[in-house]
Amino acid sequence: MATKRFDLFTICNYAFLAIFCLITIYPVYFVLIGSFNDGNDYMRGGIFLFPREFSLANYQVVIQDERLYTGFKISILRTVIGTITSVFFTAMVSYAMSRKNLIARGPYYWIHLVTLFFGGGLIPYFLVLKNLHLVNSFWVFVIPTMFSVFNMIIFSSFFREIPEEIHESATVDGAGDFRIFISLFIPLSAPVLATVALWNAVGHWNSFFDAMIFTTKGDLMPLQLFLMKMIREADVISNSQYVPPQVQKKISVQTIRMAAIMISTVPILLVYPFLQRFFVTGFMVGSLKG
Amino acid sequence: MHPEMHPSAALKKPRPNLIFRLRKQWQIQAMALFGIMFVLVFNYAPMFGIIIAFKMADYSVNLMRSITEAPWVGWDYFKEFILDYQFRDILLNTVGLNLLQLLINFPAPIIFAILISEIAHKRFKKLVQSISYFPHFISWIVFGGIIINMLSVETGVVVSALLKLGIISEPVSLLGEPNAFWPLIIITSIIKGLGWGSIIYLAAITSIDPTLYEAATIDGAGRFRRIWHITLPSISGTIIVFFLLSVSNLLNSSFDQLWVFQTPLNLERSEVIDTFVYKIGITQMRYSYTTAVGLFKSAVALILLAGGHLISKKVAGRGIF
Repeated sequence: MATKRFDLFTICNYAFLAIFCLITIYPVYFVLIGSFNDGNDYMRGGIFLFPREFSLANYQVVIQDERLYTGFKISILRTVIGTITSVFFTAMVSYAMSRKNLIARGPYYWIHLVTLFFGGGLIPYFLVLKNLHLVNSFWVFVIPTMFSVFNMIIFSSFFREIPEEIHESATVDGAGDFRIFISLFIPLSAPVLATVALWNAVGHWNSFFDAMIFTTKGDLMPLQLFLMKMIREADVISNSQYVPPQVQKKISVQTIRMAAIMISTVPILLVYPFLQRFFVTGFMVGSLKG
Repeated sequence: MHPEMHPSAALKKPRPNLIFRLRKQWQIQAMALFGIMFVLVFNYAPMFGIIIAFKMADYSVNLMRSITEAPWVGWDYFKEFILDYQFRDILLNTVGLNLLQLLINFPAPIIFAILISEIAHKRFKKLVQSISYFPHFISWIVFGGIIINMLSVETGVVVSALLKLGIISEPVSLLGEPNAFWPLIIITSIIKGLGWGSIIYLAAITSIDPTLYEAATIDGAGRFRRIWHITLPSISGTIIVFFLLSVSNLLNSSFDQLWVFQTPLNLERSEVIDTFVYKIGITQMRYSYTTAVGLFKSAVALILLAGGHLISKKVAGRGIF
């Protein structure tokens, strides 16, 4: 589909895409060098390509903040528990919805479909969660996202592709539907489940809106909310009294923020090469959404 | 009804009764009912909760009691919102920002996918994909925090660059400038979402039969005619589906993004219905009022949809749906 010769279009296209990539990458690099620079020196400005006065002081301060560890703990817990429960329960409902003999399958389907187009809005949703005593509980990160209609539709269209003979022979062997779902359908659709699980995990890791609305306790603060407070609010160095004076001289509000941003991005950077392998299955899931 | 479908016809072929069939499939019924219960609690209950928009239930936390016992107030909260001094700004920002996003950020990934597909060099293609998909995987908080550092007046690279290029004559805080807010949102949305948004169109493009392009080349079609007559028509189905998806999300602002960049100084152009509902509803507990505001948003979205449908029917001869 692309010609080999280098005409004007090709040159412009390559140049444009290269510039776009630079614009995408450079901000991350900018923050990286800033976080490794002496904070006071940084405030003089002009650090665009390399750190001027290399220093680890910013990281020293950030890693002394208790909230960082609470943040990591909550974020990891909600990502792991939230993703597993969401994929499992959504797949379970999808399995039932993909069985053709399910009584009342039509009405069930419509009940789900309506929720894709209508909702109650933020405040009634908040009040429902509050009345369920989920507000200010860790489970508010897990239970309300345990089932997704959107993913249910993706999963059931995959389950419907699995040959009926597999189900039949298992039934003949005396396996119940729950058994068949766990030991046959889950392994058979592992690539799709894994892809959705990964998108789910990224969503959990990055989400802060739910934490901001449904929790007020500091010990439930996920990493992103901690970062949001650091970026939007002034309380950057809450533990500064523990910071030795020789370190204090080498920090600034901005460079500490940068260090916090980098620390929270490291997990994503670590899994990103792994995630890329799933882009291809992402294609498949995506084309099904269409 | 077809004569053979008549109930009396069913008598000829006796089927096991409903209870028996239900008992036989109790496992899948239980699985399916889990989903039904879930949406009843987390989707349908909030829908009933909308009633409090018409009831005096501010500050009252018990939803059931609010729905059943609170006194009716009619359209009072809607009137209060329309008479609010911020109303015009909020409405303009909500509609303006969302329409701009639809106009710019919807077609951009399509163009980007076509540009990527035109790359012959495999490794460069992979590199562009890897880099441009990356921002999708970091949160708006992190990405916004990075951009805020870039925009800093004293130390940021953006202000320096704009000064050097002569676009601005003196250092300004772009985050404190209301008129810079909309461009900021559009540009950051593009940087963060362009690559990932294109993945689906790229998938559609790679599934196009390559012989179509070969035949077109032999017939003397240039690059742009091939894109126009082969690529675009082949992916039009995907485009329409995703257009419908973004239209159905109309007016649902990207809260995370707005929240990061919103400052007291740019509120005039950055306050939208979603951020307003959060501030007044959650933090000030004005539940009924903000439920009414949320409902107002849905009504505006519906009007915009109907309007868009009528215009597209007039202009293009077919509606949105």
